[in-house]
Amino acid sequence: MNPSLPRRPLRLVAGATLALAIAALVAIVLASILRSATGAAESRVDIWRLIVMTTTQAALSTVLSLIVGIALAWALNRLRFPGRDFIVGLFASAIVTPGLIIAFGLLAVWGRSGWVNEASLWLAGQPLEVPLFGLGGIVAAHVILDASFAARILLARLDAIPEARLKMGQSLGLSAFRRFTIIDWPMLGPTLPGLASIIFLLAFTSFPVVLLLGGGPANQTLEVAIFAAVRLDFDLAGAVQLALVQIAICSAIILATAAFAPVSAATARSRPPRWRDSGPVRALQWLILAIGLAGFALPLLAILLDGIGPSLIDLAVRPSFWRAVATSLAIGAGSATLTLLLALVIGMARAATASRTARTLIGAPAYTYLAVPAVVLSLGAFLTVRDMGILPEMAAPIVVLIANALLALPFALATLAPPLEAIATSRGRLIRSLGLDSWSQFREVEWPLIGRDAGVVVALSFCFSLGDLGVIALFGTEDFTTLPLAMYRALGAYRTNDAATIAALMLLLTIAAFVLLPKLFARLTDARS
Amino acid sequence: MLEADRLTFSHPGAAQRYELTFAAAPGEITAVSGQSGSGKSTLLDLIAGFLAPSGGTLTLDGTDLILLPPEARPVSILFQSETLFEHLSAGHNLALGLPRGTPRDETSRRIAAALAEVGLPGIEAQRASTLSGGEKQRVALARTLLRNKPVLLLDEPFSALDDSTRATVRELVRDLTERHRWITMLVSHHADDIEALAARRYRLEDGRLALA
Repeated sequence: MNPSLPRRPLRLVAGATLALAIAALVAIVLASILRSATGAAESRVDIWRLIVMTTTQAALSTVLSLIVGIALAWALNRLRFPGRDFIVGLFASAIVTPGLIIAFGLLAVWGRSGWVNEASLWLAGQPLEVPLFGLGGIVAAHVILDASFAARILLARLDAIPEARLKMGQSLGLSAFRRFTIIDWPMLGPTLPGLASIIFLLAFTSFPVVLLLGGGPANQTLEVAIFAAVRLDFDLAGAVQLALVQIAICSAIILATAAFAPVSAATARSRPPRWRDSGPVRALQWLILAIGLAGFALPLLAILLDGIGPSLIDLAVRPSFWRAVATSLAIGAGSATLTLLLALVIGMARAATASRTARTLIGAPAYTYLAVPAVVLSLGAFLTVRDMGILPEMAAPIVVLIANALLALPFALATLAPPLEAIATSRGRLIRSLGLDSWSQFREVEWPLIGRDAGVVVALSFCFSLGDLGVIALFGTEDFTTLPLAMYRALGAYRTNDAATIAALMLLLTIAAFVLLPKLFARLTDARS
Repeated sequence: MLEADRLTFSHPGAAQRYELTFAAAPGEITAVSGQSGSGKSTLLDLIAGFLAPSGGTLTLDGTDLILLPPEARPVSILFQSETLFEHLSAGHNLALGLPRGTPRDETSRRIAAALAEVGLPGIEAQRASTLSGGEKQRVALARTLLRNKPVLLLDEPFSALDDSTRATVRELVRDLTERHRWITMLVSHHADDIEALAARRYRLEDGRLALA
């Protein structure tokens, strides 16, 4: 027992109980999948072909995302201009922008009736044939999302280069190339393997992008094949086999990721000296930034411009639309609250012990959900409720809410646990000497200090849940529909205008939550401190 | 002579205004002392060109330095830390001090000579991260020799060293300054460093330099 840590046995018990409950839930879901696998009939799913396709698109997405992300981070690190912080924030929002929206935005810009084709018809009298469906479209959407995410992480590394190192380089007159290889690369290099693993995992488990841009069975990935096996082919045996393969591969990637240096988005900024590159190099940086912005912001802009129009009124008079809005908001708010509570209880329990083993045991169950993608978790829950004799549509709201909360939990815990542990270590002695009880410790010390992080957790979880298609895809019904599912159905029925309006609404909700919730929480907690 | 006359500067948003006047001669060490936050590093940043003054003059032997960018100024700098790129070898760090395009054999010869002059012969291939604090400062001084700039700025360069290493590096700085007729400006809050090295002493207080 570390004497500087306050004694909090109740926190430990609560955290351990929750960790056990989460582990039990994982076990039940896996047991349902395994049981179905052993009793299932022969399936004709070509697993090997699916693995090759999934791995190919994930590997291509990873390599291209890292190259584009490094170039963007380099350009943003060097250039200073009004609105730079806004653009950095825009790229940071990529982590919460639903894949469905980016995929739809790509169609709005590059698709058959998209901006580029219309411009080409007007200017040249013939359409521009851009092969958007298939591997190219999938990789393009992933690169737009993941390169922006990578750029934000890598920019934080470049912004943290010590001031003295930059001054030394500048006084030595290093060229732009030598500055990158000698000063920048040692900061970026150690982050790349971990970042590559995360991007690979995101692309490997990507569902809505492949569903929308896959263009048919030839470009299916494991995740989409599971969905197709359950909802379209009624091949439960095939779905179960695919789910087991998916879990095994994701677990291997996560184990590999754990061996690399952790990826941190911490924004400890040094005060860089004014070190401008030569004119041609700066022109290249502006060009990279312009292309990156066009790639990420144009699809979003297209969604907003195409979506906010007369079809908004058409949708607004339909009760089904308002039911989807209400369901999405309720599930988003509910799962965000649940995620915050779970992360707080587990994070505080971890901070209450100095034992590394205990910390690992309490935290590990939450991280297992990284290895269980949304569609697989949804399939396991589907099989579990069916085995219990409950109709899936009856259990749907609670299952979707819990599943979304659990899927956001690893990110929430990664955000909240480090500051809670730092508070216990740095202020534990003072808390003990003042004799603060557990509630006072939380109210007076922890909550004011982690307020903004809590806001980030709520925003992340809300946005993940709002954009989720993986869980709702198996549980959704005519009466129980969220916005992403309503959008997917509208696209399936060729109601493109409706889909555009729903996409615009989702995008606005995502941006509002991502920008406002952390500020709201910071303000609430500032008032208390 | 390195001379500043009412060199004026304010950090954006800060109330403190600096108006700095000083003179530093070749072959001697000019020390600047002052409390933490008094602006000692700001003074070095102004001389090195990392900060732009709003007024006043800064000249070296009558030549105006103010319009020159940092890389074009006749200045070498040594910080307390971050004196070398840790992932490069000592030799590679030194090579950065030579003009681009220097022939390979000349590079090797000059690096070997510079390392010998600071008392570290034969460590060209050693990675900088494996060197001790004192060795790093000596390698950085060797790079200063290769750069052959007349002004050397030292920003608390001995603070991270133990007592015996500190004395050795201090002696090396004094010796090199005298031998190469450098104009060396030392910023330190350690009275013993200043006592041991300085021929001329200034104290920085309330944004102004006064001879001590």
